[in-house]
Amino acid sequence: MSSAAHKIASSTQIRVALHASNPWRRRALSKMLTAAGYLITETEDAAHVALADGECPSSELRPTVVLGLGGREAQGLLPANADLGQIDAALRAVAAGLIVRSPVANEEGFEQLPENEVQALLTPRELEVLNVLIEGLTNKAIARRLNISLHTVKFHVESVFRKLDVRTRTEAVAKALDSRHLETIKL
Amino acid sequence: MTDQADILSQFSIAMSSRVAAANAWIAAIRLSPAGRHITGTVWQPDVIVTSEQSLSKRDEFELVAAGGSVTSARVVGRDPATNIAVLKLAQPVSSTNAIPGEARAGALVLSVGADAHGRSTARLGVVNAVEPEWYSSLGGRIDQRIVLDINLGRSEEGGPIFDAAGALLGMSTFGPRRRVLVIPAATIKRIVPSLLKEGRIARGWLGAALRPVAVPDALGDAAGQPSGLMVMSLTDGGPAANAGILAGDIILSVDGASARRMRNITARLGGDSIGRKVDLRFIRSGAVMSRQATITERPTS
Repeated sequence: MSSAAHKIASSTQIRVALHASNPWRRRALSKMLTAAGYLITETEDAAHVALADGECPSSELRPTVVLGLGGREAQGLLPANADLGQIDAALRAVAAGLIVRSPVANEEGFEQLPENEVQALLTPRELEVLNVLIEGLTNKAIARRLNISLHTVKFHVESVFRKLDVRTRTEAVAKALDSRHLETIKL
Repeated sequence: MTDQADILSQFSIAMSSRVAAANAWIAAIRLSPAGRHITGTVWQPDVIVTSEQSLSKRDEFELVAAGGSVTSARVVGRDPATNIAVLKLAQPVSSTNAIPGEARAGALVLSVGADAHGRSTARLGVVNAVEPEWYSSLGGRIDQRIVLDINLGRSEEGGPIFDAAGALLGMSTFGPRRRVLVIPAATIKRIVPSLLKEGRIARGWLGAALRPVAVPDALGDAAGQPSGLMVMSLTDGGPAANAGILAGDIILSVDGASARRMRNITARLGGDSIGRKVDLRFIRSGAVMSRQATITERPTS
Protein backbone atom coordinates (compact mmCIF):
# COMPACT_ATOMS: atom_id res chain seq x y z
CA MET A 1 0.00 0.00 0.00
CA SER A 2 1.49 3.34 -0.98
CA SER A 3 2.12 5.78 1.83
CA ALA A 4 0.63 8.52 -0.31
CA ALA A 5 -2.73 6.94 0.26
CA HIS A 6 -2.57 7.91 3.90
CA LYS A 7 -2.03 11.57 3.21
CA ILE A 8 -5.28 12.53 1.49
CA ALA A 9 -6.75 15.54 3.21
CA SER A 10 -10.44 15.18 3.95
CA SER A 11 -11.17 18.06 1.58
CA THR A 12 -9.32 16.50 -1.38
CA GLN A 13 -11.43 15.15 -4.19
CA ILE A 14 -10.60 11.45 -4.26
CA ARG A 15 -9.60 10.13 -7.66
CA VAL A 16 -10.91 6.65 -8.37
CA ALA A 17 -9.80 4.17 -11.02
CA LEU A 18 -12.87 2.16 -12.02
CA HIS A 19 -12.59 -1.43 -13.24
CA ALA A 20 -15.90 -2.77 -14.54
CA SER A 21 -16.19 -5.05 -17.53
CA ASN A 22 -19.98 -4.77 -17.73
CA PRO A 23 -20.60 -1.44 -19.51
CA TRP A 24 -23.95 -1.10 -17.82
CA ARG A 25 -22.55 -1.45 -14.32
CA ARG A 26 -19.65 0.77 -15.27
CA ARG A 27 -21.95 3.56 -16.33
CA ALA A 28 -24.11 3.26 -13.23
CA LEU A 29 -21.15 3.15 -10.82
CA SER A 30 -19.45 6.01 -12.62
CA LYS A 31 -22.56 8.15 -12.42
CA MET A 32 -23.08 7.33 -8.77
CA LEU A 33 -19.48 8.16 -7.81
CA THR A 34 -19.36 11.37 -9.80
CA ALA A 35 -22.58 12.53 -8.15
CA ALA A 36 -20.98 11.75 -4.77
CA GLY A 37 -18.06 14.06 -5.56
CA TYR A 38 -15.45 11.56 -6.75
CA LEU A 39 -13.32 12.03 -9.82
CA ILE A 40 -13.24 8.99 -12.10
CA THR A 41 -9.87 8.73 -13.78
CA GLU A 42 -8.70 6.53 -16.58
CA THR A 43 -6.83 3.54 -15.20
CA GLU A 44 -3.45 4.93 -16.23
CA ASP A 45 -3.95 8.18 -14.33
CA ALA A 46 -2.78 8.77 -10.81
CA ALA A 47 -5.79 7.58 -8.87
CA HIS A 48 -5.80 7.42 -5.09
CA VAL A 49 -7.88 4.28 -4.92
CA ALA A 50 -9.50 1.74 -7.24
CA LEU A 51 -13.02 0.34 -7.36
CA ALA A 52 -13.34 -3.04 -9.06
CA ASP A 53 -16.65 -4.58 -10.02
CA GLY A 54 -16.29 -8.35 -9.64
CA GLU A 55 -12.78 -9.21 -10.73
CA CYS A 56 -9.88 -7.00 -9.71
CA PRO A 57 -7.07 -6.83 -12.28
CA SER A 58 -3.94 -8.29 -10.73
CA SER A 59 -1.99 -5.29 -12.04
CA GLU A 60 -3.93 -2.99 -9.71
CA LEU A 61 -1.57 -1.96 -6.90
CA ARG A 62 -3.56 0.88 -5.36
CA PRO A 63 -5.81 0.32 -2.35
CA THR A 64 -8.83 -1.35 -3.92
CA VAL A 65 -12.46 -1.86 -3.03
CA VAL A 66 -13.89 -4.94 -4.72
CA LEU A 67 -17.62 -5.39 -5.28
CA GLY A 68 -18.59 -9.04 -5.27
CA LEU A 69 -16.52 -12.11 -4.61
CA GLY A 70 -13.36 -11.62 -6.67
CA GLY A 71 -10.23 -10.68 -4.76
CA ARG A 72 -10.22 -11.84 -1.18
CA GLU A 73 -6.93 -10.06 -0.70
CA ALA A 74 -8.33 -6.62 -1.58
CA GLN A 75 -8.28 -3.89 1.06
CA GLY A 76 -12.03 -3.42 0.72
CA LEU A 77 -14.55 -6.18 0.13
CA LEU A 78 -18.21 -5.35 -0.40
CA PRO A 79 -21.16 -7.32 -1.77
CA ALA A 80 -22.02 -6.74 -5.44
CA ASN A 81 -25.16 -4.84 -4.48
CA ALA A 82 -23.51 -2.51 -1.95
CA ASP A 83 -25.21 0.90 -1.83
CA LEU A 84 -23.56 4.26 -2.43
CA GLY A 85 -23.19 4.95 1.28
CA GLN A 86 -21.20 1.73 1.74
CA ILE A 87 -19.08 2.26 -1.37
CA ASP A 88 -18.35 5.85 -0.31
CA ALA A 89 -17.36 4.82 3.22
CA ALA A 90 -15.22 1.95 1.92
CA LEU A 91 -13.35 4.09 -0.64
CA ARG A 92 -12.54 6.71 2.02
CA ALA A 93 -11.47 4.03 4.46
CA VAL A 94 -9.10 2.20 2.08
CA ALA A 95 -7.75 5.58 0.92
CA ALA A 96 -6.86 6.17 4.57
CA GLY A 97 -5.08 2.83 4.73
CA LEU A 98 -7.79 0.85 6.49
CA ILE A 99 -9.18 -2.57 5.69
CA VAL A 100 -12.91 -2.87 5.01
CA ARG A 101 -14.95 -6.03 5.26
CA SER A 102 -18.69 -6.33 4.89
CA PRO A 103 -20.27 -9.18 6.81
CA VAL A 104 -22.36 -9.85 3.72
CA ALA A 105 -19.22 -10.46 1.69
CA ASN A 106 -18.67 -13.52 3.86
CA GLU A 107 -22.08 -14.87 3.00
CA GLU A 108 -21.25 -15.98 -0.51
CA GLY A 109 -21.03 -19.70 -0.90
CA PHE A 110 -21.50 -22.67 -3.18
CA GLU A 111 -24.75 -21.88 -4.89
CA GLN A 112 -27.58 -23.26 -6.95
CA LEU A 113 -28.17 -22.39 -10.56
CA PRO A 114 -30.55 -19.41 -10.41
CA GLU A 115 -34.01 -20.18 -11.72
CA ASN A 116 -35.80 -16.89 -12.24
CA GLU A 117 -39.50 -16.46 -11.76
CA VAL A 118 -41.01 -15.63 -15.13
CA GLN A 119 -43.08 -12.82 -13.57
CA ALA A 120 -39.92 -10.95 -12.59
CA LEU A 121 -38.11 -11.30 -15.93
CA LEU A 122 -37.83 -8.22 -18.11
CA THR A 123 -38.32 -8.28 -21.88
CA PRO A 124 -35.41 -7.09 -24.05
CA ARG A 125 -37.21 -3.75 -24.57
CA GLU A 126 -37.77 -3.31 -20.83
CA LEU A 127 -34.07 -4.03 -20.23
CA GLU A 128 -33.23 -1.30 -22.72
CA VAL A 129 -35.54 1.17 -20.98
CA LEU A 130 -34.06 0.29 -17.57
CA ASN A 131 -30.58 0.74 -19.01
CA VAL A 132 -31.40 4.32 -20.03
CA LEU A 133 -33.27 4.94 -16.78
CA ILE A 134 -30.00 4.33 -14.95
CA GLU A 135 -28.49 7.31 -16.73
CA GLY A 136 -31.17 9.48 -15.17
CA LEU A 137 -32.99 10.32 -18.40
CA THR A 138 -36.58 11.63 -18.35
CA ASN A 139 -39.34 9.73 -20.13
CA LYS A 140 -39.18 12.28 -22.94
CA ALA A 141 -35.43 11.81 -23.34
CA ILE A 142 -35.83 8.03 -23.23
CA ALA A 143 -38.42 8.23 -26.00
CA ARG A 144 -36.03 10.27 -28.13
CA ARG A 145 -33.10 7.96 -27.40
CA LEU A 146 -34.93 4.73 -28.18
CA ASN A 147 -36.96 6.29 -30.95
CA ILE A 148 -40.31 5.23 -29.50
CA SER A 149 -43.37 7.22 -28.43
CA LEU A 150 -43.69 8.79 -24.99
CA HIS A 151 -46.75 6.64 -24.44
CA THR A 152 -44.73 3.47 -25.13
CA VAL A 153 -41.98 4.60 -22.77
CA LYS A 154 -44.51 5.18 -19.97
CA PHE A 155 -45.94 1.74 -20.63
CA HIS A 156 -42.52 0.07 -20.39
CA VAL A 157 -41.43 2.06 -17.33
CA GLU A 158 -44.61 1.04 -15.51
CA SER A 159 -44.02 -2.57 -16.45
CA VAL A 160 -40.39 -2.40 -15.24
CA PHE A 161 -41.51 -0.88 -11.93
CA ARG A 162 -44.12 -3.60 -11.49
CA LYS A 163 -41.68 -6.41 -12.27
CA LEU A 164 -38.92 -5.01 -10.06
CA ASP A 165 -41.50 -4.23 -7.36
CA VAL A 166 -40.42 -0.59 -7.00
CA ARG A 167 -42.24 2.74 -6.95
CA THR A 168 -39.56 5.30 -7.78
CA ARG A 169 -36.78 5.69 -10.34
CA THR A 170 -34.17 5.75 -7.59
CA GLU A 171 -35.44 2.44 -6.26
CA ALA A 172 -35.43 1.00 -9.78
CA VAL A 173 -31.81 2.05 -10.34
CA ALA A 174 -30.77 0.62 -6.97
CA LYS A 175 -32.48 -2.67 -7.79
CA ALA A 176 -31.01 -2.74 -11.26
CA LEU A 177 -27.56 -2.43 -9.73
CA ASP A 178 -28.23 -5.55 -7.75
CA SER A 179 -26.10 -7.95 -9.73
CA ARG A 180 -28.84 -10.53 -10.07
CA HIS A 181 -30.57 -8.43 -12.69
CA LEU A 182 -27.36 -7.99 -14.64
CA GLU A 183 -25.85 -11.39 -14.24
CA THR A 184 -25.15 -13.37 -17.35
CA ILE A 185 -24.64 -17.09 -17.41
CA LYS A 186 -21.75 -18.28 -19.51
CA LEU A 187 -22.67 -21.49 -21.25
CA MET B 1 -23.62 -40.03 40.71
CA THR B 2 -24.15 -43.62 39.80
CA ASP B 3 -21.66 -45.91 38.10
CA GLN B 4 -24.34 -47.21 35.80
CA ALA B 5 -24.22 -45.22 32.58
CA ASP B 6 -27.55 -43.63 31.76
CA ILE B 7 -28.70 -43.14 28.20
CA LEU B 8 -27.37 -39.60 27.96
CA SER B 9 -23.85 -40.48 29.05
CA GLN B 10 -23.90 -43.52 26.75
CA PHE B 11 -24.85 -41.24 23.92
CA SER B 12 -22.08 -38.83 24.86
CA ILE B 13 -19.45 -41.55 25.12
CA ALA B 14 -20.50 -43.03 21.80
CA MET B 15 -20.22 -39.62 20.16
CA SER B 16 -16.80 -38.83 21.53
CA SER B 17 -15.45 -42.20 20.45
CA ARG B 18 -16.87 -41.60 16.95
CA VAL B 19 -15.08 -38.28 16.81
CA ALA B 20 -11.85 -39.88 18.04
CA ALA B 21 -12.13 -42.56 15.35
CA ALA B 22 -12.87 -39.96 12.69
CA ASN B 23 -9.49 -38.40 13.33
CA ALA B 24 -8.04 -40.85 10.80
CA TRP B 25 -10.23 -39.30 8.09
CA ILE B 26 -9.25 -35.67 8.48
CA ALA B 27 -6.29 -33.40 7.91
CA ALA B 28 -5.72 -29.67 8.32
CA ILE B 29 -4.78 -28.00 5.03
CA ARG B 30 -2.63 -24.95 5.74
CA LEU B 31 -3.70 -22.04 3.54
CA SER B 32 -1.13 -19.60 4.88
CA PRO B 33 1.94 -19.76 7.07
CA ALA B 34 0.10 -17.41 9.43
CA GLY B 35 -2.16 -20.26 10.40
CA ARG B 36 -5.43 -20.13 8.49
CA HIS B 37 -6.49 -23.61 7.46
CA ILE B 38 -9.42 -25.64 6.19
CA THR B 39 -10.23 -29.30 6.66
CA GLY B 40 -9.55 -32.07 4.20
CA THR B 41 -11.33 -35.43 4.14
CA VAL B 42 -9.13 -38.50 3.61
CA TRP B 43 -10.78 -40.22 0.64
CA GLN B 44 -8.07 -42.80 -0.09
CA PRO B 45 -4.79 -43.33 1.84
CA ASP B 46 -3.05 -40.87 -0.49
CA VAL B 47 -6.02 -38.79 -1.66
CA ILE B 48 -7.59 -35.88 0.21
CA VAL B 49 -10.74 -34.09 -0.92
CA THR B 50 -11.72 -30.63 0.23
CA SER B 51 -13.92 -27.64 -0.53
CA GLU B 52 -12.69 -26.14 -3.81
CA GLN B 53 -14.14 -22.67 -3.13
CA SER B 54 -12.04 -22.23 0.02
CA LEU B 55 -8.77 -23.69 -1.23
CA SER B 56 -6.33 -20.99 -2.33
CA LYS B 57 -5.16 -21.09 -5.94
CA ARG B 58 -1.87 -22.84 -5.29
CA ASP B 59 -0.38 -26.12 -6.46
CA GLU B 60 1.03 -27.37 -3.21
CA PHE B 61 -0.04 -27.28 0.43
CA GLU B 62 1.23 -28.36 3.81
CA LEU B 63 -1.07 -30.79 5.55
CA VAL B 64 -1.23 -31.60 9.22
CA ALA B 65 -2.55 -35.13 9.63
CA ALA B 66 -3.77 -36.91 12.73
CA GLY B 67 -1.04 -37.02 15.34
CA GLY B 68 0.38 -33.70 14.18
CA SER B 69 2.61 -35.05 11.44
CA VAL B 70 3.18 -32.48 8.70
CA THR B 71 3.26 -33.68 5.12
CA SER B 72 3.05 -31.98 1.76
CA ALA B 73 0.26 -32.48 -0.74
CA ARG B 74 -0.06 -31.58 -4.39
CA VAL B 75 -3.31 -30.32 -5.90
CA VAL B 76 -4.06 -32.77 -8.72
CA GLY B 77 -7.47 -31.49 -9.74
CA ARG B 78 -10.18 -28.98 -8.99
CA ASP B 79 -13.80 -28.80 -10.08
CA PRO B 80 -15.46 -25.54 -9.02
CA ALA B 81 -18.76 -26.77 -10.48
CA THR B 82 -19.08 -29.50 -7.84
CA ASN B 83 -16.85 -27.72 -5.29
CA ILE B 84 -14.44 -30.64 -5.13
CA ALA B 85 -10.66 -30.27 -5.02
CA VAL B 86 -8.38 -33.29 -4.87
CA LEU B 87 -4.93 -33.33 -3.29
CA LYS B 88 -2.40 -36.14 -3.48
CA LEU B 89 -0.31 -36.85 -0.39
CA ALA B 90 3.44 -37.29 -0.59
CA GLN B 91 3.18 -39.88 2.19
CA PRO B 92 -0.03 -41.92 2.37
CA VAL B 93 -1.83 -42.05 5.70
CA SER B 94 -3.47 -45.15 7.09
CA SER B 95 -7.20 -45.08 6.52
CA THR B 96 -10.02 -47.47 5.91
CA ASN B 97 -12.72 -46.76 3.39
CA ALA B 98 -15.74 -45.08 4.95
CA ILE B 99 -19.11 -46.65 4.26
CA PRO B 100 -21.34 -44.24 2.34
CA GLY B 101 -24.58 -43.39 4.14
CA GLU B 102 -28.06 -42.28 3.13
CA ALA B 103 -29.16 -38.81 4.21
CA ARG B 104 -32.62 -38.56 5.77
CA ALA B 105 -34.27 -35.35 6.96
CA GLY B 106 -34.28 -35.20 10.73
CA ALA B 107 -31.38 -37.60 11.19
CA LEU B 108 -28.52 -36.61 13.48
CA VAL B 109 -25.21 -35.83 11.85
CA LEU B 110 -21.72 -35.42 13.20
CA SER B 111 -19.41 -32.99 11.44
CA VAL B 112 -15.71 -33.53 12.04
CA GLY B 113 -13.16 -30.84 11.32
CA ALA B 114 -9.44 -30.48 11.92
CA ASP B 115 -7.79 -28.00 14.25
CA ALA B 116 -4.41 -26.51 13.35
CA HIS B 117 -2.65 -29.57 14.86
CA GLY B 118 -4.69 -32.13 12.96
CA ARG B 119 -6.84 -33.02 15.97
CA SER B 120 -10.58 -33.57 15.56
CA THR B 121 -13.11 -30.83 16.21
CA ALA B 122 -16.75 -31.86 16.39
CA ARG B 123 -20.17 -30.38 15.68
CA LEU B 124 -23.53 -32.04 16.13
CA GLY B 125 -26.47 -31.21 13.89
CA VAL B 126 -29.53 -32.45 12.09
CA VAL B 127 -30.24 -33.06 8.42
CA ASN B 128 -32.53 -30.11 7.72
CA ALA B 129 -33.66 -31.10 4.22
CA VAL B 130 -32.93 -33.66 1.54
CA GLU B 131 -33.87 -32.93 -2.05
CA PRO B 132 -33.13 -34.68 -5.35
CA GLU B 133 -30.17 -33.90 -7.59
CA TRP B 134 -29.41 -30.25 -8.32
CA TYR B 135 -27.14 -28.10 -10.47
CA SER B 136 -24.68 -25.56 -9.10
CA SER B 137 -24.39 -22.09 -10.60
CA LEU B 138 -21.40 -23.36 -12.58
CA GLY B 139 -23.38 -26.25 -13.99
CA GLY B 140 -22.08 -29.10 -11.85
CA ARG B 141 -24.52 -31.90 -11.09
CA ILE B 142 -24.75 -32.73 -7.39
CA ASP B 143 -26.42 -36.06 -6.68
CA GLN B 144 -28.54 -34.82 -3.78
CA ARG B 145 -29.24 -31.52 -2.09
CA ILE B 146 -28.48 -32.14 1.59
CA VAL B 147 -28.91 -29.12 3.84
CA LEU B 148 -27.77 -29.35 7.46
CA ASP B 149 -28.93 -27.52 10.56
CA ILE B 150 -25.46 -27.03 12.02
CA ASN B 151 -22.92 -24.28 12.63
CA LEU B 152 -19.41 -24.73 11.27
CA GLY B 153 -16.25 -22.72 11.79
CA ARG B 154 -14.43 -21.53 8.67
CA SER B 155 -11.60 -23.99 9.31
CA GLU B 156 -13.96 -26.95 9.54
CA GLU B 157 -15.27 -26.71 5.98
CA GLY B 158 -14.29 -29.64 3.77
CA GLY B 159 -14.45 -32.18 6.58
CA PRO B 160 -16.53 -35.35 6.62
CA ILE B 161 -20.19 -35.50 7.68
CA PHE B 162 -21.19 -38.75 9.36
CA ASP B 163 -24.62 -40.08 10.24
CA ALA B 164 -25.45 -41.70 13.57
CA ALA B 165 -24.36 -45.11 12.28
CA GLY B 166 -20.95 -43.73 11.43
CA ALA B 167 -21.55 -43.86 7.68
CA LEU B 168 -20.16 -41.04 5.52
CA LEU B 169 -22.75 -38.69 4.01
CA GLY B 170 -20.20 -36.51 2.29
CA MET B 171 -18.10 -33.37 2.65
CA SER B 172 -19.22 -30.16 4.33
CA THR B 173 -19.49 -27.05 2.16
CA PHE B 174 -20.65 -23.51 2.87
CA GLY B 175 -23.58 -22.35 0.77
CA PRO B 176 -24.78 -18.75 0.75
CA ARG B 177 -25.16 -17.12 4.19
CA ARG B 178 -22.91 -19.81 5.72
CA ARG B 179 -25.59 -22.39 5.38
CA VAL B 180 -23.96 -25.81 5.51
CA LEU B 181 -24.51 -28.13 2.56
CA VAL B 182 -23.15 -31.63 2.01
CA ILE B 183 -21.41 -32.61 -1.22
CA PRO B 184 -22.68 -36.21 -1.21
CA ALA B 185 -20.25 -39.13 -1.12
CA ALA B 186 -21.84 -40.31 -4.40
CA THR B 187 -20.81 -37.07 -6.12
CA ILE B 188 -17.27 -37.27 -4.72
CA LYS B 189 -17.04 -40.87 -5.86
CA ARG B 190 -18.12 -39.88 -9.36
CA ILE B 191 -15.83 -36.84 -9.69
CA VAL B 192 -12.60 -37.90 -7.94
CA PRO B 193 -11.43 -40.51 -10.49
CA SER B 194 -11.70 -38.00 -13.37
CA LEU B 195 -9.91 -35.33 -11.35
CA LEU B 196 -7.12 -37.80 -10.49
CA LYS B 197 -6.82 -38.77 -14.13
CA GLU B 198 -7.28 -35.49 -15.95
CA GLY B 199 -7.13 -32.76 -13.31
CA ARG B 200 -10.45 -31.31 -14.44
CA ILE B 201 -14.01 -32.20 -15.39
CA ALA B 202 -14.78 -31.71 -19.06
CA ARG B 203 -18.05 -29.89 -19.73
CA GLY B 204 -19.80 -28.92 -22.93
CA TRP B 205 -19.78 -25.32 -24.08
CA LEU B 206 -21.76 -23.00 -26.35
CA GLY B 207 -19.52 -19.95 -26.01
CA ALA B 208 -22.32 -17.50 -25.20
CA ALA B 209 -23.10 -15.24 -22.26
CA LEU B 210 -26.83 -15.45 -21.67
CA ARG B 211 -29.36 -13.60 -19.59
CA PRO B 212 -32.87 -14.79 -18.79
CA VAL B 213 -35.49 -12.54 -20.37
CA ALA B 214 -39.24 -12.58 -20.78
CA VAL B 215 -40.41 -13.31 -24.31
CA PRO B 216 -42.31 -10.21 -25.55
CA ASP B 217 -46.09 -10.82 -25.52
CA ALA B 218 -46.41 -10.50 -29.29
CA LEU B 219 -44.09 -13.48 -29.76
CA GLY B 220 -45.41 -15.62 -26.93
CA ASP B 221 -47.51 -17.85 -29.18
CA ALA B 222 -44.83 -18.43 -31.79
CA ALA B 223 -42.23 -19.12 -29.10
CA GLY B 224 -44.49 -21.42 -27.14
CA GLN B 225 -42.86 -20.40 -23.85
CA PRO B 226 -42.87 -17.28 -21.64
CA SER B 227 -39.11 -16.86 -21.25
CA GLY B 228 -35.78 -17.59 -22.87
CA LEU B 229 -32.09 -16.70 -22.70
CA MET B 230 -30.94 -13.57 -24.49
CA VAL B 231 -27.46 -13.70 -26.00
CA MET B 232 -25.48 -10.85 -24.41
CA SER B 233 -22.13 -11.70 -25.96
CA LEU B 234 -20.45 -14.47 -27.92
CA THR B 235 -16.97 -15.91 -27.84
CA ASP B 236 -15.35 -15.61 -31.26
CA GLY B 237 -14.99 -19.02 -32.83
CA GLY B 238 -17.22 -20.59 -30.17
CA PRO B 239 -19.96 -23.08 -31.10
CA ALA B 240 -22.80 -20.52 -30.94
CA ALA B 241 -20.88 -17.91 -32.95
CA ASN B 242 -19.91 -20.52 -35.54
CA ALA B 243 -23.56 -21.54 -35.86
CA GLY B 244 -24.45 -17.94 -36.81
CA ILE B 245 -26.05 -16.94 -33.51
CA LEU B 246 -25.92 -13.16 -32.94
CA ALA B 247 -25.97 -11.00 -29.83
CA GLY B 248 -29.59 -10.09 -29.12
CA ASP B 249 -31.01 -13.45 -30.22
CA ILE B 250 -33.25 -15.05 -27.60
CA ILE B 251 -32.47 -18.76 -27.26
CA LEU B 252 -35.63 -20.80 -26.73
CA SER B 253 -34.26 -24.31 -26.69
CA VAL B 254 -31.07 -26.30 -27.03
CA ASP B 255 -31.31 -29.80 -28.44
CA GLY B 256 -35.05 -29.73 -27.70
CA ALA B 257 -34.55 -28.76 -24.04
CA SER B 258 -36.45 -25.59 -23.16
CA ALA B 259 -34.29 -22.61 -22.17
CA ARG B 260 -37.03 -21.62 -19.78
CA ARG B 261 -35.19 -23.56 -17.12
CA MET B 262 -31.46 -23.09 -16.97
CA ARG B 263 -30.87 -26.52 -15.53
CA ASN B 264 -32.43 -28.11 -18.62
CA ILE B 265 -29.70 -26.53 -20.71
CA THR B 266 -26.92 -27.28 -18.24
CA ALA B 267 -28.00 -30.90 -18.17
CA ARG B 268 -27.49 -31.03 -21.95
CA LEU B 269 -23.95 -29.74 -21.63
CA GLY B 270 -22.33 -32.59 -19.70
CA GLY B 271 -18.99 -34.06 -20.73
CA ASP B 272 -20.76 -36.50 -23.09
CA SER B 273 -22.17 -33.59 -25.12
CA ILE B 274 -18.76 -32.57 -26.49
CA GLY B 275 -18.72 -33.03 -30.27
CA ARG B 276 -22.48 -33.47 -30.48
CA LYS B 277 -24.56 -31.48 -32.98
CA VAL B 278 -27.50 -29.71 -31.34
CA ASP B 279 -30.39 -27.66 -32.67
CA LEU B 280 -30.63 -24.13 -31.30
CA ARG B 281 -34.12 -22.60 -31.52
CA PHE B 282 -34.19 -18.84 -31.08
CA ILE B 283 -36.05 -15.60 -31.74
CA ARG B 284 -34.51 -13.02 -34.07
CA SER B 285 -36.27 -9.88 -35.27
CA GLY B 286 -39.70 -11.19 -34.41
CA ALA B 287 -39.33 -14.63 -35.98
CA VAL B 288 -38.54 -18.05 -34.55
CA MET B 289 -35.51 -19.58 -36.25
CA SER B 290 -33.25 -22.58 -35.81
CA ARG B 291 -29.56 -23.34 -36.37
CA GLN B 292 -27.30 -26.27 -35.71
CA ALA B 293 -24.26 -25.93 -33.43
CA THR B 294 -21.51 -28.36 -32.51
CA ILE B 295 -20.77 -28.43 -28.78
CA THR B 296 -17.09 -28.10 -27.89
CA GLU B 297 -15.31 -28.51 -24.60
CA ARG B 298 -15.57 -25.55 -22.21
CA PRO B 299 -12.13 -23.96 -22.10
CA THR B 300 -10.53 -23.72 -18.67
CA SER B 301 -10.84 -20.09 -17.65
